[in-house]
Amino acid sequence: MNIDSHSSTDAEVVYQVVSGNVNAFERLLKRYEVHVMRIVKKHIPFDKVEEVAQDVFVRTYQSLPNFKRDESFKQWLSTITIRTCYDFWRKHYRYREVPVSSLSEKHQVWLEEATAARSSQSFDERDSQEEAREILDWALDRLSPEDRMVLELVYLEGYSVKEAANLLGWSTAKVKVRSFRSRKKLHKLIKEMSLTQRD
Amino acid sequence: MTPIKDEQKALREILRQAYLEKENVEVGDRWQEEAMRRIRELGAIEAAPSSLVMFEQLVWRLAPLTCVLILGLAVLLSSLDFISGYDIIQLLMDGTEELTLNQFFGL
Repeated sequence: MNIDSHSSTDAEVVYQVVSGNVNAFERLLKRYEVHVMRIVKKHIPFDKVEEVAQDVFVRTYQSLPNFKRDESFKQWLSTITIRTCYDFWRKHYRYREVPVSSLSEKHQVWLEEATAARSSQSFDERDSQEEAREILDWALDRLSPEDRMVLELVYLEGYSVKEAANLLGWSTAKVKVRSFRSRKKLHKLIKEMSLTQRD
Repeated sequence: MTPIKDEQKALREILRQAYLEKENVEVGDRWQEEAMRRIRELGAIEAAPSSLVMFEQLVWRLAPLTCVLILGLAVLLSSLDFISGYDIIQLLMDGTEELTLNQFFGL
């Protein structure tokens, strides 16, 4: 059997890599680069995306001996990707020195208009997404790495509690509690931001 | 639905859209090469050791301690003037004319 063919399964490629063929790993990288990038882009600041994507594949390579043939490689890789993103935030928060920037009045005005318009179904999606992204980043920067990851997975991406727990390697109870608390914190932050701007 | 719930739902939808938009940001195409360079630098990886190999490693790790324990017990037994059953039988068989059971057991 020619296991170098493009139709070789993930498990076969993993076997080749573990047997000492380092270059075979490139096939896995090509196969899943888009998948990994899609996850990383959502969780990590733009200027760090490439660095973290590299870390994901290096970590995956080092963990290959632990990969079980009967599990889905894609699912396994997603888990490593999410945990690498979480580790990035843990490290980032540990060495964070300067407090994150505050928002301007235009963000608050925009948010008020957008929520009012959206709730009356008249919000135009083509309107600037930039303000929304800045508000989101501002709020997420004020959450702990744990709250941030759970909020992104459950509240923003719509993963179930069980799926998020599997991805993060936490218990469902922990994810459930974190999810509730982080959502409350987010709403509180945005509410406080609105009040501050009003004063 | 209450106005607050309505507003929170609207807020969630706005933030969700902004969050999912991040996927469309363009990144460079050199990072894959850099990742492979780092991986090649690490060299070949070894498969996780099987349970038999792990057991063997454990045995060898405990071997010096076992030797010390055996030596210690040997010294202890010799200092206790221990006479094994085999030695008693040897004595009885070798010198029956000189040593009777009565003498041996001090009866």
